[in-house]
Amino acid sequence: MAEQMSHTERVPHRRRPAPRPPRSANDIYVNTKTDFRAQLARCRRLLVAEGQKELRVHGLGLAIGRAINLALQLQLSAPDALLISASTSTVELTDDLEPEGGEDAEPGTRNRNNSAIHIRVYRAQEE
Amino acid sequence: MSTAKGKKYARRMRNQPSNVSLDQVHLTPQGDGQRGFQSQRGSTSRQQQRGPYQSQGAHAGGDRGRGDYNEGPPIPKFITASMFAQARAAEINAMVKAVSQKSSNSLVFQSLPRHMRRRAMGHDVKRLPRRLREIAKREMEKSVHQKKEQSKSKCRKARRRHGNLQLEFNRRQRKNIWLETHIWFTKRFHMVKKWGYCLADRPTMKSYRACYRAMSNHCLLQDLSYLCCVEVMGKEEELLKALSRLCNIETGPTFAAVPCLSGKRQGSLVLYKADKYPNEALGPVTFIWKPKSIPESSCELRHLWLWMHTALKQDILKELRHVFVCEDRPDNAICAAEVPADPPQEEKPATVKTGGRKRKAQDKKGEKAVPVKRIFGDGTRASPDPYQWTSTQTSIIIRDLTMEIVRYRLVGPLSCCVLNDALHPAPLHKKTEDCGAHSWWEDYCQNSDNTLLHERQSSLFKLLQEIASPAQIPSGTVLGLTVGDPRVNLPKKRTKSLPNFQQIEDKAKVKSLMVDGVPAECSQSLIWSSDIRFQVTENKIPEQEMNRLRSELLVPGSRLDLGNKESKIPILLIQQPGKTTGRDRLGWGSSWDICLPKGWGMSFWIPLIYRGVRVGGLQQALQHSQYMGAPNVPGDFPDSLAGVLSAVEKETQLLEKYTKRPPAKRTNFIKHGILAPFLCPWGQLTREWEVRAGAEVNRSTQEADHGTEDGAELNQSVQNKDLGTEEQADSPKDIDMDSGSAVSTEQPFEEVGPKGFSVLRNKKVLKELSVFCDPRGGRKANHPPSEELLSLVNPVLRDFPKSLVWVRLSMMTKGSPELHAVICIPSKEDLIQLSKDKTFAGPQEPKHSDSFKKKVVNYKKELRKQKAKSKREGSEKMETNAEPLGNNQLTLGLWPNPIPEVTTHCSRLLLGHVTQGDFSMATGCGAALGFVSLTGLLHLLQQASDKIGIVLIRNPSSLQYRFAKLTIDT
Repeated sequence: MAEQMSHTERVPHRRRPAPRPPRSANDIYVNTKTDFRAQLARCRRLLVAEGQKELRVHGLGLAIGRAINLALQLQLSAPDALLISASTSTVELTDDLEPEGGEDAEPGTRNRNNSAIHIRVYRAQEE
Repeated sequence: MSTAKGKKYARRMRNQPSNVSLDQVHLTPQGDGQRGFQSQRGSTSRQQQRGPYQSQGAHAGGDRGRGDYNEGPPIPKFITASMFAQARAAEINAMVKAVSQKSSNSLVFQSLPRHMRRRAMGHDVKRLPRRLREIAKREMEKSVHQKKEQSKSKCRKARRRHGNLQLEFNRRQRKNIWLETHIWFTKRFHMVKKWGYCLADRPTMKSYRACYRAMSNHCLLQDLSYLCCVEVMGKEEELLKALSRLCNIETGPTFAAVPCLSGKRQGSLVLYKADKYPNEALGPVTFIWKPKSIPESSCELRHLWLWMHTALKQDILKELRHVFVCEDRPDNAICAAEVPADPPQEEKPATVKTGGRKRKAQDKKGEKAVPVKRIFGDGTRASPDPYQWTSTQTSIIIRDLTMEIVRYRLVGPLSCCVLNDALHPAPLHKKTEDCGAHSWWEDYCQNSDNTLLHERQSSLFKLLQEIASPAQIPSGTVLGLTVGDPRVNLPKKRTKSLPNFQQIEDKAKVKSLMVDGVPAECSQSLIWSSDIRFQVTENKIPEQEMNRLRSELLVPGSRLDLGNKESKIPILLIQQPGKTTGRDRLGWGSSWDICLPKGWGMSFWIPLIYRGVRVGGLQQALQHSQYMGAPNVPGDFPDSLAGVLSAVEKETQLLEKYTKRPPAKRTNFIKHGILAPFLCPWGQLTREWEVRAGAEVNRSTQEADHGTEDGAELNQSVQNKDLGTEEQADSPKDIDMDSGSAVSTEQPFEEVGPKGFSVLRNKKVLKELSVFCDPRGGRKANHPPSEELLSLVNPVLRDFPKSLVWVRLSMMTKGSPELHAVICIPSKEDLIQLSKDKTFAGPQEPKHSDSFKKKVVNYKKELRKQKAKSKREGSEKMETNAEPLGNNQLTLGLWPNPIPEVTTHCSRLLLGHVTQGDFSMATGCGAALGFVSLTGLLHLLQQASDKIGIVLIRNPSSLQYRFAKLTIDT
C-alpha cells in the first residue's frame, strides 16, 4: 500500500526501521518474511519446553493478520489451557524524504502512523 | 632422472666407498685374474655402477652356485693370496669408513631407534650412547654456532624490558605501520600486511557466524584507524567551487548539500578525476564539514574532513592538489627532505628509552621519561607534524591527518548502549581545586556558552541510550562531545551492556532526536582543533601512573576520582547508515563511528571490550559490506586505480595458491570454459557487449523502418540515438578486429587508462533500471512495452556504452556463488524448463576441450630433456634457468593470456562477474554482489518478457548453472 502511495505522491522516500522496544524472551514480534510454521514452532517451544507463563505476540501493519493467525493457532492446539487477550495500539513510523533534483533543500522527514496489535497468550490455570 | 632425484642419489652415494664398485673392464672375459686385480686397483674408480654380481670379489670368493656361467665372467684359475687379501682389506676399510660416517642429513640421535631415544638428547650429550657422543658433540657445536649468529644479542629478560621492547616495536613497524591496538590484535587475530599497515584479518577463534550475530543483534567493534583523513581548509565558496569539479550531482548529493554543509551530517560520495565524470573514478569518500562557530562571520575559514580508504589516499591527494593548485611537495617536508634527516628522528625516542632503563629514578621527575611509544601520526614521516600543502592561488590548505585520529566502528543495535556505558561526559572544570594539566578545558569552561553547549551535548548523548538502534536517527548524524577518561570507570569484569528496561526518559526529546537529529551546534567538537588534539595526546596519564593511583586507593576497587586531573578527550560520534538500498532489512548494520585523538586508542579500546562487544577484522568488514549490499573498498571499484591494483593483487594471490596444487588436483578452468578465473576482464566484457549492441540496434532500426509508421517521432528519436551509439560503437569495433587483446591498443586511443569502462552511478538511471528489473515494481505487470524500454535504453546506451552496473543476486533454489563466478543470460529453453518445473536446478555447461594440455605437457617434456642434456654437457646453468621464465605463462588448466571473446565462449551469453559471493545468513540462501555490463543487461531486459531479471550463475569450479534473481538496489 505504501508502495502505491509513494507512486501517486511521487515523493521518493526511504523508510526507517520500525522502533524496536526492548524485548524479553517472551516477546514475539511477528513479521511477514519468516516462515509461519517456524514462528508457530518457536511459540510452542517457548510455551511448552521453556515453560513461559505468557507470550506477547506483536504484529505491525501487514503482519497483524499473521499475528492474529499465530495466536489463534496456538490456542487451537490447546483450547482449554491457553487464553487470549488482544489490545491494539498505534505506532509512529518515520520516513526520510529525499528531495529531488537539488541539494539546497533540507531532507525532511515524515511521520506516519501504523496500527499494531499486541496479543497476550497466557495459561488458563494461572489464576 | 630429474635433477632433484639425481641430487638425492648423489648425496646418498657421497660417503659410499667408491672401490666397492667395479669397472666395466673387469667384465671382459680374460682368464687372467692378476691382471684383473691390477686393473681394478688401478681404477679405484669414481664410477658409481654397481650390481650384485659385478663385484670381482664375489666371483673370486667362490660364489659359484649363483653365477651364470654363460654370461658372467669365467672364474679365475688361480688367486694370488697377497693380492686378494690386499683387495679385501681395501674393501673392509671402505666399509668401516662408511659405517663410521653418517650419510644422512639427520642429527645423530635421530639415527637411533625410537626405544633408545631420550628427551634431553637434543641438548645433553651424555644422554646419548657413548659411541655417538663424539659426533653429537661436533654437531651440537655446529648448531650452537649457527644459532649464535641469528640470536638476539641480549637475553630474553633484557629484550622484554620496556624500553628495549619499544625500540624493537618501533623497528618492526618501520615498513608496515601498526595501529594503536596492534599488540592487542596480534594476540587474538590473524594479521595481514596490507596497504602499508599491519591489519587484523580475522579472529583466530571460530567466529564467522558469531560476528554476524553480533552485527545484527549485539555490537561488533572494528578498528578503522587505517582510514585516512585529509583536512581541507579555506573559504567556503572557493572550496566548493574546486571540489565541484571532482564530483557530480547525478551520483547523489555533493559537498554542497545543505545538511552536510552545516556540519550536522556526514556526507558520502564517489570522487572522480577533475571534470572527468563519468570516467576515471577515484573512489568513495565520506566527508564532514566543521560546523560554523556560533557567532557567524562571513569570511570564516571552513574546515572539511575527507575520510577515505588508505588505498585511495595517494590518488585522491594528488587530484586534490591538482584541483586546489598546490605544489606537489609538502610545505613542511622541505627541511626533512634529505634522507639523513630521518635517522635522528629514529634515534630520538631511543635516547629517551635508554634513560628509561632507570625509570624508577626518572619517574619521579615527571612524565618526560615515559613517552616512548611512537604515537606521532604516520610512523613513516620524519616530523610529527602532518604534511600540508598550501594553494598557490587561493588560501586553501590541505593537510594529511593520516594516523592523527583514531577511528573505531561499533556496528549493531546495542552500540548506543555500549557507548553510553563506556563513556561519560567530561566533568566541568571546578574552580575550587587546583587546575590540572588540562588548561584548554579550563579555558573552554570559562565561557558560559560553552558549558551550556557541553551540557546539551551530554544530555543528547544520554538520550542515545533510549534509541534501540543507530538506524533510528537520521543517517550521518554527527555528535561532538568531550568525555572523561574512560579508564576511570572500568568495570571489574567483562560484562555485556544491555538496554535499561525501566528507564523512562522524556519521550518528546527522544522523538525530536529521531526526527531532526542532532542540531548543528551540537556537532561542534574540540577535536577539530589540532592544538587541543596535541595537548590531549601529550597530557594523557600513562597506564602505569593510572595503575599506581588505583593501587593507592583506600578502598580497593572503588572509583578513582581524579578531580581536575582527569583527562578530558574531545571526540566525535558519527552515525553510519546501514543498509540503505533495496527493500529487505533496511537499516541493518547501522553503526556508530567514534573518532579520538591519537594516543588514546587503547584507553578507549579496553573499556569498549569490557562492555561485551565482539571484535572483528578485515574479514568482518567485508562481511558487513556484503550483507549491506554495498561495494567493498577498494575491490569493488574496478574503474578506479586502487580497484585495479587490488584486483591484480588478488589475482597473483589466487594464482599462487592455484599453482601450488599438483596439476592433477587443480580445477582445469579451460575445460570449464572459464577464461579468466582470477581476474575479471571488465574492459573486454564491456567492449564486446558494445560491439554486439551496435550490430543489434542496426538490425532493429532497419526493421522499424520497414514496419508501420506508428510512433514516428519515437522512431525518429530512436534513430538519432542509434546514430550516436553506432558512431561510438564503430571505432572500437575496428580495433577489435585488428587485435585479439585490445587492452594494449586501446590505451593510446582513449586516455582513460587500461580500462576504458566506467561504473554507472547515475542515481536516476539506476532507479529506472531497478524498476525494470524488479517484477514487483508493478508498472510493467502486463508485458513491458518495448517502446518504453527502448526510450529508456537508447539515451542510456548512448551516454554510457561501456558501463558496468552494480547488481545484487540471490539464488532461487540451491547454490552458493563464489568469487568471480560468471553471470550469464539464460536461453529461452532454460526459462521454459524453469516454468515447467520449479525445482529445475539449471542447465549444465558442456565440457570444453583443453587444446593447451598437450602443449603444456610437451613443453614440460622438452624442458626436462633440455635440462638433462645441459647437465650432461656441463653446468650451463644460466641457460636452464633463463628458459622456464620465458615461457612460464603456460599453466595447466589456465587459458594463456590473449583470451578469446569472453561473451560467447560458453553456451550461455556472459553478462558479468560476481565480486562478492557467499551464503547469506540473513536470507538463508546464496547471495552475491557483482557487476554486469549495462548493454548486456538491457539486452536481457528486452529479451525476456515474462521472467524479468532471472539470470544464471556458475561458479568457476563447476559446470552447473544455477538460477538467480537479479536486482538493482537504489
